[in-house]
Amino acid sequence: MTSTATSAPSAETGLDHLEIQGVKKVFGDNTAIERLDLNVHKGEFLSLLGPSGCGKTTLLRMIAGFETPTDGAILLGGKDIVSLPPHRRPVNTVFQSYLLFPHMNIADNIAYGLKQAKVPKPEIAQRVREALALVQMEDFAGRRPEQLSGGQQQRIALARALVNRPQVLLLDEPMSALDRKLREEMQLELKRLHTRLDTTFVFVTHDQDEALAMSDRIVVMYDGVIQQIGTGEDIYANPHNGFVAGFIGKQNFISAEVASTDATTATLRTANAVLTAPTLTLRPSTAAGEPRDLTVGDRVRAAIRPERMHVAPAGEASGDANTARGAVISYSFLGDVIQYMIVVGDNDEILARVPAAGREPISAGTEVELSWDADAVTVYDREPGLPAAAVEGGA
Amino acid sequence: MSTTTTTETAKRGLSPRFFGPAAMSFPTWAYALFFFIVPLALIVFYSFGYKPDEFTAIATDRLSFDRYPEAMSASFVSTFFATLRISIVGTILCLLIALPFAYWLAVKVSPARRSLALALVMVPFWTNFLVRTLGWQIMLSPDGFLSNWLQGLGLLDGPLDILYTRSAVQIGVVYNYLPLMILPLFVAIDASGKKLREASYDLGAGKVKTFMRVTLPMAMPGVVSGCLLVFIPLNGDYVTATVLGGASGSMVGQLIANQFNTAQNWAVGAAMAMILIISTLVVVGLGFALLKLGQAITAKLNSVPLQDGRA
Repeated sequence: MTSTATSAPSAETGLDHLEIQGVKKVFGDNTAIERLDLNVHKGEFLSLLGPSGCGKTTLLRMIAGFETPTDGAILLGGKDIVSLPPHRRPVNTVFQSYLLFPHMNIADNIAYGLKQAKVPKPEIAQRVREALALVQMEDFAGRRPEQLSGGQQQRIALARALVNRPQVLLLDEPMSALDRKLREEMQLELKRLHTRLDTTFVFVTHDQDEALAMSDRIVVMYDGVIQQIGTGEDIYANPHNGFVAGFIGKQNFISAEVASTDATTATLRTANAVLTAPTLTLRPSTAAGEPRDLTVGDRVRAAIRPERMHVAPAGEASGDANTARGAVISYSFLGDVIQYMIVVGDNDEILARVPAAGREPISAGTEVELSWDADAVTVYDREPGLPAAAVEGGA
Repeated sequence: MSTTTTTETAKRGLSPRFFGPAAMSFPTWAYALFFFIVPLALIVFYSFGYKPDEFTAIATDRLSFDRYPEAMSASFVSTFFATLRISIVGTILCLLIALPFAYWLAVKVSPARRSLALALVMVPFWTNFLVRTLGWQIMLSPDGFLSNWLQGLGLLDGPLDILYTRSAVQIGVVYNYLPLMILPLFVAIDASGKKLREASYDLGAGKVKTFMRVTLPMAMPGVVSGCLLVFIPLNGDYVTATVLGGASGSMVGQLIANQFNTAQNWAVGAAMAMILIISTLVVVGLGFALLKLGQAITAKLNSVPLQDGRA
């Protein structure tokens, strides 16, 4: 299994392998997925990321065959698989709750799919042993699922799916039941397996760290609609809309009004400061909107990442374009960084993360100078549906 | 002073015994003791006694095993085996009818309608056992509506000749005991869960394979308890046989009841009851052994020998 996988040419990488075309799913009155198009490349690790109820699991279940799309096509290797029942699709799933068969031992659990495919017994034995070795569980073949810990059951669930050499491996929040340390171990393990096997992985998660740690590309979903597709770096650094900006990583949103614009920059006025943004583009709040040009008087949200904030004692000058005076409310020491909660004016709470680097944390109550580069600022439309007053904040 | 210490010790020693878990479980053990162990012990004891004269049902001043050979008359033995046949066939029929129904109920019926379907299974249980069985007497009688319909449809030449036969008893017991099979099977199949079935489909097993490899093996505890719930009371049933069986369809329960009620020979009746109880246990034991053997064989056939795979 491993030898063939590693020697297989990965020249096909980049080809669209799994194509989701105009798929729509309606449950009763509730539209779970709205006309979704997505191409998954062969051999890539693609994560579907979004809050619960965003439709990511429904999409996965439609690929697996447990749900039938209301409309649209799902093509695997160019062939529409919508009409195929789950057991005829060359895809396998790793389920959130593992779902090992409790009445079979570990080896029989892993062999289950191969037996259905009528693989000869000696080959089944061979492949089961390889699969056990792949997840480093060789000594557990004769155990029962209930004798295994959660992490071990997860590995077996992975082996049980991978042993069938699926064209696409679907993973439905497989780590949500594991504790943090185990989850991080499993992330590395999963990434290692993916590199080794050249199988297409479609991974559903609501945990952005998990998606960022493992994926080649991330599909951010919200409300049944794809908000943005891209690499982790791309999505983090260049969110296309307010939802993505707020969902991936931490973000300071400040309500502001466009005061003036010139050729390349816009000046925004907030309740407590004036800031410069290096852009004339107003990004929409969700993928439903389109980016447009900023105009004077627009009510917007300016977003700045906490790690782009600089914190200095009050009165100390900084070279940054934007500054604001605030007071430290609290700080938390996170090892590599110190995270400050700083209040600017009456009620603008700003999160700032600065490298710890041996510096003494600034204690609560101290006046500080907050500053950030102009290019740290991105500008988004107000959230639709919210009354203007709520968005204006302290303005 | 010494008296106070004793009372205190007694208090400390006794109060948990009288007011602790033993007291909480009083209904359970009292029920088991007074309605099971004591009557059973009396039956065992009486089976060693004898009937001293015309007007006395039981005497136990001389104990012997003599009632047992006396109980095993030719008619008892033939009725006994007929009963066993009715019970085993009845249990198997109940299982064959209940299994698809329970599967349908647990897997296919939407949860909203499930309670209605379960209620429909239970409703006959709210009616008296005897009344329900009498209902079958009307239905199966030669001039009953079933007979008339079948003749009207041309499926029968003469009147339906089934009442007061062993077949009528067989139909009656399957009807009477079916819910006792459906309910544990439904619970077991329901507990095995949709998610595990999905895991099985995902791994390439179709509906039939999934049923055989996942749903049924996991529902085995339900199958076992359903069979016990049906077989044991069915083996001792005499109401169904009395109402529907007539002379040719009698069951061993009737013979025992006759000894106690009509012949007033409690010793022979008790000996018959003991033979029934012991044989029921033997059949149940054999059933278990067969089940274990079957499971061992299927496990052997289905498992993958990891060691021998590579020579």
